[in-house]
Amino acid sequence: MAETPEPIESLVKKEAEPQRDPIVSRSTSAILLICTLLLMFSAGWALYDEGFGQRPWRGMQQQFTKRYVAYLKSIRKDAGKSEAEVKETPEYQQLDEEAKTALDMVKTDLAEKDRRVRQIQAKLDAVTEPFQNQRGKIVVITYKLETSHGGFWQRRFQSQLDAKKKEQVAVDLPAEGDGKPARQKMDFAQLEQTFNELRDQKAKVLGEKAELLKEPTELAKKRDEYLKNHVSLLPQKSIDDLIRKNEDSFDYTILGHQINVNQFGIVDRCEICHLGTRESLTIKASDMAPGGPGKKPDDLANAFVSHPRKELLQIHNPEKFGCSACHGGNGRATTSVVKAHGQNPFWLHPLFHKENAEAGCQMCHANDRVTQGADTLNLGKDLFYQRGCVGCHRMEAFDREGDALTNARQMISQLQEQIGANERQAKQDTDASANAGDDTEVQRLLAHADSLRVTNSQLAARIDELNLQTRYLQQDQKKVGPNLKDVRLKLRKEWIPAWLKDPQAFRPGTKMPTFWRFTEDGEEGAEDLKAVAAYLWQQSFDGKVPAQQQGDKNHGKELFESRGCLACHSIGEDDNKMGGTFAANLTKVGEKDNYDYIVRWIYNPRERWAPYCPKEHRDLTPEDYSKHGLPFLFDTELHSKCPNDGAELQVQNMTVMPNLRLSEQDARDIATYLFSLSSPTPGADLSFMDDPKLVEDGKAEIKQYGCAGCHEIKGFEEEQRIGKELTTEGATPLERLDFALITQDAEYGRDPLKLHPKDKEQEWYNHRGFFEHKLAEPKIYDTGKSRYLEPKDRLRMPKPFLTEEWRTSLTTLLLGSLGAEGANVPAALFYSPPDQRRQDIQNGWWVIKKYNCMGCHVLQPGQRVSVYNNSAEPTMISGAGLYSLPFYSGLKEFLPPQLTSEGARVDPDWLMKFLKDPSLMQAGEKPAQPSSSSAAPAASPSSSPASVGARPAASANDQSGGRLISQPGANRNGVRPYLQVHMPTFNFSPNELRVLVRFFMAVSSQNDPYIKDPMDPMTESEKSIARNIFVSGTPCLKCHITGEPAHDAKAIAPNFLLASQRLKPEWTFRWLLDPAQIAPGTAMPTGLFKKDQDRWVVNLPNPPSDVSSYHGDHARLLVRYMFLMTPDEQRRLLSASPAAPPAAATQPQTSPKTGRNYGTPTSRGSDRVDLAKRARRKAGLRTLAQLRHAHRIARKQLIDSSKQY
Amino acid sequence: MFSKRARLWLGLIATLSLLSLASSCGGPKTEDNTNTGDKSGKAYTPKGDEGTVTGKVSYTGAAPEAKKIDTSADAACTSKSPNLTTEDWVVKDGKLANTYVYIKDGTLADGSKIGDWTFETPSTPATLDQNGCHYKPHVLGVMVNQPITITNSDPTTHNIHFTPKSNPDWNQSQPNGAAPLTHKLARAEVLVPVKCNQHPWMKSYVGVTKHPFFAVSAEDGSFTLKGVPPGKYTVVAWHEGGANGTEKTMEVTVPAKGAATADFSFGATAQGQPSSLQMLPAIEFPMLGKH
Repeated sequence: MAETPEPIESLVKKEAEPQRDPIVSRSTSAILLICTLLLMFSAGWALYDEGFGQRPWRGMQQQFTKRYVAYLKSIRKDAGKSEAEVKETPEYQQLDEEAKTALDMVKTDLAEKDRRVRQIQAKLDAVTEPFQNQRGKIVVITYKLETSHGGFWQRRFQSQLDAKKKEQVAVDLPAEGDGKPARQKMDFAQLEQTFNELRDQKAKVLGEKAELLKEPTELAKKRDEYLKNHVSLLPQKSIDDLIRKNEDSFDYTILGHQINVNQFGIVDRCEICHLGTRESLTIKASDMAPGGPGKKPDDLANAFVSHPRKELLQIHNPEKFGCSACHGGNGRATTSVVKAHGQNPFWLHPLFHKENAEAGCQMCHANDRVTQGADTLNLGKDLFYQRGCVGCHRMEAFDREGDALTNARQMISQLQEQIGANERQAKQDTDASANAGDDTEVQRLLAHADSLRVTNSQLAARIDELNLQTRYLQQDQKKVGPNLKDVRLKLRKEWIPAWLKDPQAFRPGTKMPTFWRFTEDGEEGAEDLKAVAAYLWQQSFDGKVPAQQQGDKNHGKELFESRGCLACHSIGEDDNKMGGTFAANLTKVGEKDNYDYIVRWIYNPRERWAPYCPKEHRDLTPEDYSKHGLPFLFDTELHSKCPNDGAELQVQNMTVMPNLRLSEQDARDIATYLFSLSSPTPGADLSFMDDPKLVEDGKAEIKQYGCAGCHEIKGFEEEQRIGKELTTEGATPLERLDFALITQDAEYGRDPLKLHPKDKEQEWYNHRGFFEHKLAEPKIYDTGKSRYLEPKDRLRMPKPFLTEEWRTSLTTLLLGSLGAEGANVPAALFYSPPDQRRQDIQNGWWVIKKYNCMGCHVLQPGQRVSVYNNSAEPTMISGAGLYSLPFYSGLKEFLPPQLTSEGARVDPDWLMKFLKDPSLMQAGEKPAQPSSSSAAPAASPSSSPASVGARPAASANDQSGGRLISQPGANRNGVRPYLQVHMPTFNFSPNELRVLVRFFMAVSSQNDPYIKDPMDPMTESEKSIARNIFVSGTPCLKCHITGEPAHDAKAIAPNFLLASQRLKPEWTFRWLLDPAQIAPGTAMPTGLFKKDQDRWVVNLPNPPSDVSSYHGDHARLLVRYMFLMTPDEQRRLLSASPAAPPAAATQPQTSPKTGRNYGTPTSRGSDRVDLAKRARRKAGLRTLAQLRHAHRIARKQLIDSSKQY
Repeated sequence: MFSKRARLWLGLIATLSLLSLASSCGGPKTEDNTNTGDKSGKAYTPKGDEGTVTGKVSYTGAAPEAKKIDTSADAACTSKSPNLTTEDWVVKDGKLANTYVYIKDGTLADGSKIGDWTFETPSTPATLDQNGCHYKPHVLGVMVNQPITITNSDPTTHNIHFTPKSNPDWNQSQPNGAAPLTHKLARAEVLVPVKCNQHPWMKSYVGVTKHPFFAVSAEDGSFTLKGVPPGKYTVVAWHEGGANGTEKTMEVTVPAKGAATADFSFGATAQGQPSSLQMLPAIEFPMLGKH
């Protein structure tokens, strides 16, 4: 047994077992499994990525609908309740009741009318068909008759026509009531008549019905209006609709939320995530919180909110602009938040940071000085101009005068060349004509020469116009800093180097930036500083300004605080600063300035020491004038041309500071006050200031640092700006912004300045980071650089004083300054005013802001301005700058007038006159110089009046014995003499006057040009009625200036004699009815008139009989009366008025004048009378204007009195 | 299972979350109270344990003399009150009238703030009369939304001009013999100056508060705040002068059914340096300093 297996095995043919084929035999299942798994995984991943990974917004949309529905449900309850609640209020019930009763009252009448209408209609229906049938047939026959020829046919048709007209038609006219219809036979004429009658009847009854319904309809409207105004949330039904929309039919696609503007190639998909942006409800972040409404919001909730400024979307429809046009970012990207916000590297338009969001406005509104609603951007533009950035950096829109002036000058020289060439050609032609062969050639040549000469005369006219423009533009061109040609006249020698070294130490917050190189560069820097100081000192006018007596410090303080100085300037130190941020803080004037110069400056800051001739490139001297036998006299009006070459001179100081028309004594008092606040400290060794060797160096340094950008400096009048043009700075490629040796710090988010201490440190290698750091500390980009670079390669931007808010504003401005190439918006969408009105507004703001009109006036509702309000840092307040002063806290009516409706209020021609001369000097009126104080006239050199304008200079340089040029309209306001604050004379050029007037008219939507409607002349009886209204009850004469001196001393409102010239009647009418609507806080009371049906009647309990029997509108009558007021009429009115007794005539003269007398109230009263009398004698009661200034003094006491009691 | 510390933490977290839940649930209610001011808030019902605050306002030093007012601008005024004098400092035997005294702030016995309660606004109007070209009374206290009836008892036209800071400006003409006008102030404000632009010497002050705890000192300087719930309060006495008037502050405790005393004293020092100007040495307005 044991062997048997062997042979069997041997019997079996042993076949060599084939080697296992690794390809076929090895199991591939593992690989397959892995592959399958991989494939499945990748397919799954692909599907997932397709569905969710690439579409992260899907999840967000689901979140949105979930949260939004939750929110809607949470407010649904309230919405319903609030509507029901309103319906339950007694007010609503009463309105409802009234409406219903009114309807009930007419109900029977209405039913009757309806019945009548139905009846008439039934008859009309019966008549209409036969009538129209017959008419149609008649028309056909008439047509045939008219088109037929031949007597036979005509006769035949005529007879047909007559037959048709006579044909009797049966009409079933329904009877009145329920009776059977009466069959009547009518011919065509009867039919027509019946038809017309019925139609008229129907119209009449319908008219009666409407009349009946009028009252109930109006009441119902009132009730519904009430409901609408008092239901705050959406009605429940709308909310239900919204819930349904979000729950059932929400569109989860891209296309459903995509904005596509074909015209400009804008495709924005921002709203696939920012779903709440345009919801009709205002959604807050807390409404969309993940835990339900009212809980803590997360990032997603913040993304779902409504647009925070919905009113902006009204004017910038997203369907037209998209989102990214304003905000930046990548509107097409949908795959990630970073990409959609354009924050991935190399995307050119990253989303603007939240605090710089208004940079988006700048892209399109670069030419607007003020963009409504963009406060940050507007502040940035204010600063760019006020803080002197504009001195070194060109920014296109800011260079209005400069650009225009350059253009004009270039044009003039081109045209002059052209004229020369034409003249030569004309001469050639004339010469050639003498030798020409044939007559036609001669004629051609002569004609050509003639045409050239005529062309030249046209060119000359253009040059004239351009010359005028240069003159105006030169007048309008201002410098940010003071004129440094006056350094020697104005400043204390020892102060100059100290100031140059560290201006912020002397005057914290000053606009003069710190030139850090002077201190950072050690010895070398100190030498440079000395050289600059020496140059300025030696290259200045040397002379003596008229010597001035000391004034009265207390009176000066009072003037300083009341005349309006604080609208622009501030005073006080540290936490006690008060006043505007527009101009310098004056606390330490006494430490740096020369008293005599400051008096002259306050008196008239525009008065220049010597005129500058841009053609000769030098300041003129008295010799230049005497050579031509002319007095050394220059002003903007008549003496603005160079005596040597006729070029337009720079005749004013290039400052925006206006002339406050103060008397010399007042100017002295104010200066004395300012100088009493600080006194000079003696300086160190100053011998270098007079070292002529330093001048050359100084000149190089001044050139290097571009001082002439902000200051007038001798030898630098034509100097160009040294800084980079910033018009499109935001579009500079990032790699061309010079982060220098701190690039890496910026990339890694290391911030040496810690500008955003509250935020997490993050990368600042971007435009925003660069601008912020450059503005905060320009020298950080100098870190690690060699000091031995060529001057042109060194950083020279000085460090400006900027608060954090200011820095953000300027950064915003720069970020948005992208130009047409760099902007994310197609240039076609840039804002360019579509009509004249908007252009006028755009232009106007540049002038308004230039002179800081908002320091004193409110120009638009909701205006906010930056001031020091008892603080070290500036803050924003509503209203005008002066509103922050405690002086005005209870005296709103003594603030400068609000100009929100100025264009509607005043006549443009008058406004032009007023802006030119706010004192409204009349032709032939002598310039007077009464002081508001009457202190010691003997001590004043003004007792010897000099002839107007003549400079009594013994020598041009030493005017210490001379006096200031007297000025027109001194010490008074043209319209409101009772105001302490002066409307200054700004010396606007005709260009700016035009721009301002047009601005005010445009803002108030006034038509241009304004053509006055003539006033209906008044009948005698109307006059007497108006007079009666004036004197009985309406207290007009108590407050308004009347020309009666004793009364005017207490008046607080303008004279009626000004009305016809100054005001527009429609505005005046509205003003009479409700002045508080136009100027909140005004002294003019509301309620002078009451509505009696559709006219306004005087609001008196017992009006005089002729007044009550006058059936016209009392307010309109009064407007006419005011506009037709004459001095005679005014006197007549006064004599009839119990309100303004002519007290002056009866009071004895008491109280001799001894100096300024604030006195007791009793003595003050007679004082005023006394003054008034004297003034009246002097003025001889001749002109209104003379009276006005004669009573300046007494009027000042008015504010005292209203404060005192 | 958990270590001791973990249990401690868990417990803490649980408690904290419960607390926060509780506070977040209760949150909106209390917020509403503070936000919407006078409308909501718990209405106060007298419990019968209310006390009073009484006191006298005195004037130390030589009393400023009342000055005669020049009324010549309006003959009607001259004839009706020929001897009109200023009313800013009415002092008699060292006692000062026309001082407005009110509870500015404070805590009730149960720890709630007085500002959290609402008090019923009386529907009876306060009266401000223009009589003899001056206002009667010179200082007036009302509650928010309490009607003020303004009458003109003079044979001349007045305009009544409220110049508040946080209420709307209001300026109405009221001719001789016209029907009374009614005005309400919706926001608390201490104090609203009232004037007549036609008669610049006419001045009055209206204090508006959310509660009825105010008084104006009488000629003998005395005043009483009635029905004050027991608690600790800051009582302020205000007298005109300067841009914003002068304030004197005092802390008092009102016991249940008891009386607290608060005597105030104004004096020559207070008169010359109004409070607002003390902060502003650089800016003094000389016109404001004189009385």
